[in-house]
Amino acid sequence: MRQFRVQRAIVLVRERLNTIGLIMGVILSLAAAQDASAELTAKANHDRVKVGFFYHGSSVSVRGVSDPGTDLIVKIASPEQHQMLRKKGKIGGVLWMNVGSITLEQAPAAYFLGSTKKIGEILSGDEMDRNAIGYEALAKRAKLDPAADEQEKAKWFGEFVKYKESSHLYSAEAGKVTVVEKDGKQEYYILMDWPYQAAPEKYTVTVYAAKDGKVIETAEANVLVEQVGIVKSFADMAKNKAALYGLISILAALAAGFGVGMIFRKGGGAH
Amino acid sequence: MYLYLPVALTSINILIPVGLGLAVGLLSGLFGVGGGFLMTPLLIMFGIPSTVAAATDSNQIVAASTSGTYAHWRIGNVDFKMGLILLAGGFIGGLFGVEAIKVLRATGNADFVIKITYVLMLGVVGIYMFFESLASMKKAKTEEVKAEKESGLGRFLKSLPLQTHFEKSGVTHSALIPFIFGGFVGVLAAIMGVGGGFLMVPVMVYILRMPMHVVVGTSLFQILFNCIEVTFLQAYTNHNVDFILAVLLLVGSTIGAQVGAVFGRKLKGEQLKIILAVIVLVVTVKIVFDLTLSPSMLLSQGGGH
Repeated sequence: MRQFRVQRAIVLVRERLNTIGLIMGVILSLAAAQDASAELTAKANHDRVKVGFFYHGSSVSVRGVSDPGTDLIVKIASPEQHQMLRKKGKIGGVLWMNVGSITLEQAPAAYFLGSTKKIGEILSGDEMDRNAIGYEALAKRAKLDPAADEQEKAKWFGEFVKYKESSHLYSAEAGKVTVVEKDGKQEYYILMDWPYQAAPEKYTVTVYAAKDGKVIETAEANVLVEQVGIVKSFADMAKNKAALYGLISILAALAAGFGVGMIFRKGGGAH
Repeated sequence: MYLYLPVALTSINILIPVGLGLAVGLLSGLFGVGGGFLMTPLLIMFGIPSTVAAATDSNQIVAASTSGTYAHWRIGNVDFKMGLILLAGGFIGGLFGVEAIKVLRATGNADFVIKITYVLMLGVVGIYMFFESLASMKKAKTEEVKAEKESGLGRFLKSLPLQTHFEKSGVTHSALIPFIFGGFVGVLAAIMGVGGGFLMVPVMVYILRMPMHVVVGTSLFQILFNCIEVTFLQAYTNHNVDFILAVLLLVGSTIGAQVGAVFGRKLKGEQLKIILAVIVLVVTVKIVFDLTLSPSMLLSQGGGH
């Protein structure tokens, strides 16, 4: 019941943000109409994702206007960062266990793509590489260590993507961009599920308008995922007041253990 | 209903940790083990990062073992004197274990040694307990248990200094025995990164010859202190304790521990031992499968240790 109410509340907020987004989009498109060379616009409806106590993921939509006849790609990515993962390997040809780790540089922790059609049909390989669109482009850009040769790098990057996809942090088909022609302009819209696994971070939304295999325009927006309320208090305390946090955790556990013990005794236990 | 866990950075259906807590708390109250060897892998299975799972579990065990110790103390099953000596040995052993880990990490095959130690320990303890309790169940049916003959080892143990009578357990040992074996468990527990309840219980049963019901209560007592120490270190140095997750777990585990303590009184010592042996063996088999079957993924979350 409560969950239902909370979800409803989120939907309402989202709808309101949608309206604001729509208005903003219109304003932006009006502004853009005066400047013919920069027509592409992008606006994320839900540019602040608040991670509270009952957070279970959200959704993010992006809308804007573009030149008629262009295809669109929407990319949402975290900043590139240093990442370390444990690596499994075979020991003695029989036993699978952790055998060291790999580190990645210049790869985003989270990465979502949506487009009007298959990206391979929209852009040439070079263009994808240049704009870091698609897993292959990411693989070329990333630095992976240790990797003795290209083949090994490809293998471990493939495993990296597999791991990320299973954690819902990478998706090359996060949603379909829909377009509507209106007054000689093209309005586009995409709605993506936003996974709760995506860490608090400032995410960059990049919209690419493409024609004849080339990116002709880009526009940017941001999605800020931030912890709020009790979640933020606990996360901050665990990090910044670690000793106090540890003591409180222990005292709470002791109190709970004794408390439940007392309740059971009062309840006419074994005696 | 879903709650967001501020340190694990993930969302979880509250029924999962409460249910897991209940089940593992029940085992804790029944057998005097912390249950880390069950809880940590289960939490990882439900999407909790491995480092947070282990740290938070130790916080949860503080609550479960407080609840369990309290329940066992009320029915006279805690040997505080024995518990404190084991604890002192365990503490010193833990310090050596941590150093041993450092040496192992420097040689580069720590994971291999840890995994193999773990599997062997679980396997040996499980198999020994299983057959021993099976044999004593059979014996109990046909004849009264005869007074055991004193072995050479027994005579040696009796000749050690600091002979002490442990009233609650009804045994007399040199205080050095629980201290040394407590230390031995402490070393292994630190190397394997587990609480060591599954090792401490057989040590108390087979080496210290304590009655099973007192073993359970006393084991919980010393697990409580171990886990307080581990929780603090994890929170202070690694920032890996998730308070919300711990609270959800302990709601179930404190109640489970009480139920386990009450239920355990209705079972005989041999029955308790054989069930624990089966659980330990099942976990061993599961780890052996994990080691030999090809994993679906070759990478896992890094960080921590």
